[in-house]
Amino acid sequence: MNVLISGGCKNGKTAFAQEIALKLSGSGRRYYVATMLAFDDEDRARVERHIKERAGLGFETIEQPRNISACLDRAGPDGTFLIDSVTALLLNEMFQDIDATEADPGAVPRCREGLLKITANAGNAVFVSDYIYSDAARYDAFTENYRASLAALDRTLAEACDTVIELCAGNVIFHKGGLAL
Amino acid sequence: MDLIIGGAYQGKRELAKRKYGFSDADIYTCGEESGIVFGARCIDKMEEFTLKCVREGQDAVEIFKEHRSEWQDSVLICQDIFCGVVPMGADMRAWRESTGRLCAFLSGEAANVFRVFCGLEQRLK
Repeated sequence: MNVLISGGCKNGKTAFAQEIALKLSGSGRRYYVATMLAFDDEDRARVERHIKERAGLGFETIEQPRNISACLDRAGPDGTFLIDSVTALLLNEMFQDIDATEADPGAVPRCREGLLKITANAGNAVFVSDYIYSDAARYDAFTENYRASLAALDRTLAEACDTVIELCAGNVIFHKGGLAL
Repeated sequence: MDLIIGGAYQGKRELAKRKYGFSDADIYTCGEESGIVFGARCIDKMEEFTLKCVREGQDAVEIFKEHRSEWQDSVLICQDIFCGVVPMGADMRAWRESTGRLCAFLSGEAANVFRVFCGLEQRLK
């Protein structure tokens, strides 16, 4: 089963995704596929907090900031994969290093191919993304390109996944499918 | 009138085409300069119209009320730009509020209201 979870920031998406992945995996193996690259102390603190929060839940952590479907090769496709997050994956694929000034136009097709490889081959997959589309601002072309690209990946995943969930202040809204857990 | 709202790039226009069989020729797209043209079967990017209203000191809801008979059979599409944090700039703040007020008014008037999330439709009314 494939599940997409999106919603605003600090809504409990990761905690909820872990809960779903835990239930989906049963007695099988479960992998936390971490996509964020830590660049500063704030990032590192966030990573530490996530590691603490999932301690004892039985996840094996796979760091996969780019080339997302390689996690299947590293772990073997059986098992349950929690991909956290599509947002960071896209960022890393668009900007190959921290000084890059141009977004790589191949990032979206690359991410799309990798993500669909996971939905097609993983035992179960839970994807976490971020909903960044409903604010009153005029962004520069750089930011608009990123928003449009993330939306394209979200929509690809929404189509491919069995279940699509929006978390709103910790509340669950089903946009597609359900969870028979 | 039916109203379709949702975030940027979520597939609002695609939903209108799929649901009502519109082609691009049926859809009027509001612009920062051009404003709105009532009477089209479908009006997209209403948030551009509300931004123009804010910049010209006009009330979008009042304009819609004045033209009430002209949009009764239309499908109206608006980005829900009113969900994020309150912006620092005064015109962005006014834009956010006027768009929120217009969508609330139109939701009340609409036969059906849909929200689009990641390409998936959700019926709100």
